[in-house]
Amino acid sequence: MDYGLKPLGREKLWLWLMLTPTLVGLVFGTVGSLLATLGLSLFDWDLINPPHWAGVENYVQLFENKDYIEAFVNTLKFSALYVPGVVILSLLVAILLNRKIRGVSFFRTVYFLPTVTSAVATALVWNMIYGKETGILNFVLERLGFAPVCWLCTDNAMMSVVIVNIWGAIGEGMIIFLAGLTAIPRDYYEAAMLDGANELQQFFSVTLPLITPSIFFQTLISAINAFQAYDYIYMLTRRGQGDSSVPVAVYSIYRNAFHFFRMGDASAQAIQLALLVAVFMAIMFWWERHYVVYE
Amino acid sequence: MKKILFVFVVASLLLTACGGGAKPAAQQGPVEITFTMWGAPEELAVWQAVVDDFHKANPNITVKVDVSDWDSYWTKLNTLIAGNTPPDVFAMDAPLFLDWQSRGALLNLQPYIDANPGFLDGFYPQTLTAYKTADGYYGLPRDFQTIVLFYNKDMFNAAGVDYPTADWTYDDLLAAAKKLTLDTNKDGKIDQYGFWSDTWDMELLWSEVIWAYGGDIISADHTKTLIGEDGARDAWAYIDSLYKEGVMPTPTTSGEFGSDLFQSGKAAMTTIGHWAVPGYVQSGIKFDVAPMPKGPAGRATSVNSAGFVISKGSKHPDAAFEFVKFALSEAGQKRLAELGFAIPVLKSVAESDAYLKQPGNLNQRVFLDSVAFAHMKPVFKGYEEWASIVGDGLIPVFDGEAELNATLDEVIAAADEVLAKNK
Repeated sequence: MDYGLKPLGREKLWLWLMLTPTLVGLVFGTVGSLLATLGLSLFDWDLINPPHWAGVENYVQLFENKDYIEAFVNTLKFSALYVPGVVILSLLVAILLNRKIRGVSFFRTVYFLPTVTSAVATALVWNMIYGKETGILNFVLERLGFAPVCWLCTDNAMMSVVIVNIWGAIGEGMIIFLAGLTAIPRDYYEAAMLDGANELQQFFSVTLPLITPSIFFQTLISAINAFQAYDYIYMLTRRGQGDSSVPVAVYSIYRNAFHFFRMGDASAQAIQLALLVAVFMAIMFWWERHYVVYE
Repeated sequence: MKKILFVFVVASLLLTACGGGAKPAAQQGPVEITFTMWGAPEELAVWQAVVDDFHKANPNITVKVDVSDWDSYWTKLNTLIAGNTPPDVFAMDAPLFLDWQSRGALLNLQPYIDANPGFLDGFYPQTLTAYKTADGYYGLPRDFQTIVLFYNKDMFNAAGVDYPTADWTYDDLLAAAKKLTLDTNKDGKIDQYGFWSDTWDMELLWSEVIWAYGGDIISADHTKTLIGEDGARDAWAYIDSLYKEGVMPTPTTSGEFGSDLFQSGKAAMTTIGHWAVPGYVQSGIKFDVAPMPKGPAGRATSVNSAGFVISKGSKHPDAAFEFVKFALSEAGQKRLAELGFAIPVLKSVAESDAYLKQPGNLNQRVFLDSVAFAHMKPVFKGYEEWASIVGDGLIPVFDGEAELNATLDEVIAAADEVLAKNK
């Protein structure tokens, strides 16, 4: 890993000077708020009165809090559907768009568009697509002779938001996979072809092993995004008084902190979510050591 | 080590540069106070006029007005108070009042009220109770709302249905709504609904129906949720029938027809408060108002107010109260009546042309007369969480995904848990 140029003499000063703004932000913004959250999770605090020491009580209560358990289970379900969905679909799209077809850059742009569009705006469009009475999706279904479906009602809401979230993430995944795919030397495919491998065999024996670094990276990023998913879910499933038909962990953290004035509970939930992400990352890195092929 | 030291020196320099803002010392002479409220951008102009009038009368006090939309208002308020920079005066929604008062965020106004004898004499008494606690008032109402029945005259005329009268019952409402629910272009989809109202909040429909059916919302000591007792169950069944009969779109689908179906010309009737009037007038629909229908136990509506509170941490409480006093004076209330969003809390202003003669040529008296049979929208600790459990919890029922009575039992149990936590 030790490559690149080493800074010399005065360059070191400039290096640190240039890094300072980011480091300050990192120390006070990220590390600072992480430590503050950790601290707050041990107190009861309503934002106005002085905090009361609560010890691990907030953590113990998490296991009795039905709403939080529901939110937590929803987050796990959401991730279990979302992560494979994003990885598989964006890999598929990348493979299709890695061919010499006419207008390939047009298609690449189209698939990338959701990534650069505001989630709030696209969620509004999805609201129109999913509408039970006037939605485009039901219009098509009814023309095909099916009964209209209430996509955003409680029973179907999870599936509907997973679809929107996957749709919104394909573009980013596609870019990662395209980078991985274009880095595979052509000679490997030529060699495989000479040995009589068909396209499918080429994919499983050449492409797939060589893009495992991209798969690893994309799975990690998707999982982190899944645990933090909020914007589309908020826009599509929010109910009148601020609850959601698919309450996820971040939703629960936000409401406890800023609507119900329970900073301690919210912090404990945030720490638990962070721990879950950390455990998942540890598993991923173990997986990386065993299965990811670096050239 | 040197490097780390360097980073910290730079960091601390940056921080002092950011943090070295002005520290306002309590001073004699001119003071500036802040007033934060939720509202629409057009409200800002009228409030600016109130503030300007106030400044003319009190040249030493400048008021800075800040308006946010409803959702961001409360988040902002929390941040300001937690950051120890609370606004001096801020707007309060009566049902949330105790959540804030019990956390010690508000200044007790009783000493100021005592120093101004007769100050509260001209108020509608129903509007004051929400802000009264055992040791006095921690807030004062600014204006109030009663809920009435709005109807679209054009749609009633076209369908040949008689306008709602003061004798209407909830069954009459349903019968008329059925006649007004139409598929005008015969594509098998409803184009005009007979009725529409939000049921996620109690204020617009369900509290009124429960009271009219002889039920109640919450026990007087705020320990028990009563929305499952006998009369209330019938009320819920009635509300559910509005959905099941198809005269009103379900909660999850109604958004497809606009955020307010009465305003967008998709519904012939609605139940809402005065705040909707300016928007309805502007959209050009021809409408008028009638009192809420009667139920088996009589007629009921809900009264709710928006009010002023002063932060406990305010550096200029005297100036803040001067401003509140002015906004609640006849001059201030007349200005606010111009807004047309609410009913003035001063009887003298509500009974004057400033309120009665407003754009739209409505039967404005209906809003005032409704006070006679109005119940106060309940005010209790834990209101927001309780309201979400009940209001949001029943959505699957109205969407047709869950059974009413079983869901009601679940919701009430969860709501009582919230009340127990907030004792």
